[in-house]
Amino acid sequence: MVKNSEAILKLHYIFKKYKTRGTFFGPQSKDVIALNSISLKILKGEIFGLVGESGSGKTTVGRLIVKLEKPEKGEIYLDGQEILSLRGDQLKGFRRRVQMIFQDPYQSLNPQLSVLDAVSEPLIIHKIGNNHTIEEITRKAISSVGLSPPEDFINRYPHQLSGGQRQRVAIARAMILKPEIVVADEPTSMLDASISAQIFNILLQMREASNITFLFITHSLAAARYLCDRIAVIYKGNLMEIGPAEEILHNPKHPYTQALIDALPKLDLSSSKKYYNSLRKEERIVKENAGCPFFSRCNVSDETKCGQNIPPMKELGKSHSAACFYA
Amino acid sequence: MPLLEVKDLDIHYHVQGGILKAVEGISFSLEKGRSLGFVGESGCGKTTLGMALMRLLPSNGFISDGQIIFDGEDIRKKNEAEMRKVRWQKISMIFQAAMNALNPVQRVGNQIVEAITTHSPLLKKDEAFKMVKNLFQLVGIPGDRIKDYPHQYSGGMKQRAVIAMALACKPKLIIADEPTTALDVIVQDQILQEIKGLQEEFQISIIFISHDISVVADVSHEIGIMYAGELVEYGNTEEVFESPRHPYTKALLSSYPTLNGEKNMLTPVPGETPNLMNPQTGCRFFDRCPNAISSCKINPAEWVTISPAHKVLCYQCGRDCGI
Repeated sequence: MVKNSEAILKLHYIFKKYKTRGTFFGPQSKDVIALNSISLKILKGEIFGLVGESGSGKTTVGRLIVKLEKPEKGEIYLDGQEILSLRGDQLKGFRRRVQMIFQDPYQSLNPQLSVLDAVSEPLIIHKIGNNHTIEEITRKAISSVGLSPPEDFINRYPHQLSGGQRQRVAIARAMILKPEIVVADEPTSMLDASISAQIFNILLQMREASNITFLFITHSLAAARYLCDRIAVIYKGNLMEIGPAEEILHNPKHPYTQALIDALPKLDLSSSKKYYNSLRKEERIVKENAGCPFFSRCNVSDETKCGQNIPPMKELGKSHSAACFYA
Repeated sequence: MPLLEVKDLDIHYHVQGGILKAVEGISFSLEKGRSLGFVGESGCGKTTLGMALMRLLPSNGFISDGQIIFDGEDIRKKNEAEMRKVRWQKISMIFQAAMNALNPVQRVGNQIVEAITTHSPLLKKDEAFKMVKNLFQLVGIPGDRIKDYPHQYSGGMKQRAVIAMALACKPKLIIADEPTTALDVIVQDQILQEIKGLQEEFQISIIFISHDISVVADVSHEIGIMYAGELVEYGNTEEVFESPRHPYTKALLSSYPTLNGEKNMLTPVPGETPNLMNPQTGCRFFDRCPNAISSCKINPAEWVTISPAHKVLCYQCGRDCGI
């Protein structure tokens, strides 16, 4: 539960684009807009879910927040301090406060570092602890992610660990600096269901123990429901709907969110699922960037309003907003 | 007579250090027009099973025991030339990430034509092209995309093309191994509904393999839960879901967060899957089973029939259920 309702992270009209590579014989390089002036606030101590399909821009949001990328326009504030202009010591201080867990546990660990070296590396870089305490802090961190006893794991190399174990190492490494914010970008989408569930429970435990703020990036609505206090749904670089997780998932107002929910395979065969039918049978052919990003697939949209204008984010009450003229 | 009957199938791999017992003692049958789903986590043997049914195991894999009877014929007794007549024509397969299996330098339409004419050499090319156009319509790809290259297709379209290819020779059985894993949720749903529709229309039998239990549940009449190379629970999908009996099935079901109903703590089974180089005697799930007793470690697990459409491989379940 969120203990303090102040915003710890604010994104302000973030605009990010990528240039695709032109080919010799083919089309010239063109701009792909990854994020179209999005704004959002993440509250201290909450687990905030960013849900979207591939190409939605959700990973880009994560990478911007940890400063792996720079936006073309817009600002990002951590506790009121603008982060895009940070340099030197201030930047190093920032890195202690904001950490990331990546999606692919087979790629995110340095294959030449043992578990001990990988997890203790952040302490060494930030000059925390000394020769005696570093190993002890590291062992505790390794144990805290369920790799117990730590002696069994500290001298292993990534290739000697399973995917689930590697991801636990990645989490230990992200947590060892006691960051304030952790961006978890699809941390379990490459892992089996039962391992994924174990990892989710570790993240929940960590939040309980230390009130860390999490940005949980995922394509899974169900995972978002399990972990998150609030959710934002993102589509083609635009935020479609934001609000409390249960509210969004049981009372979705944006046709895109409704389409995502309708598309989920039924696990609880006895549940009476409402069918929103917000997806058109066939996509409309539209010019790019004219109007709502979901217009071409939306069953409740109309040409004059939705086809020509980008709907603004509308407050619907209960901290629930949706970017739709008909919400 | 069922279309496919598998009895006591053992599949092993030669690996450095010995023999990996990837699949042990699997038995099941599949009727014409029905779909059977296999669910399990990494390493449970489901892909190995799918490959073995088409005799497509890699060079270090071999079927060491058991029977595969398809359409009345013993698949194990066929030589490679005979198997070539079975593949694509009688049994076709949709592989994992099949979209990446499309030849990037050949137009999509041509690839499917090639599949058709290879197996029906008397068919003329333009007739084959007509068939491809019909197939594309069936799977929902606009006809004017026939001459495009794979990179011009979206992920969903590539997958549909692969499904079209699998249907091209009108097989009796399709083995689909994770056919929608690489796709977004909305496209996945569209593809699954399409597969279901095609199955009903043409009465094709389907074996659907996935690690995602909700996907398998959506498309399969019957379901088999696999763990460490063994089939641990098997039966009518609804029944298995409503009353799972095997502790692994129960744990697997409670590993998936749900959208509806109570938001309960996920209670996955702790630990990791066992090493299949030297599987222990007794039940393979022993180390992780919350209900295990000492005899589970010694005695191999036994099949217990819960109902005519539901059975479970568990020594304890028999005792607990009083069956």
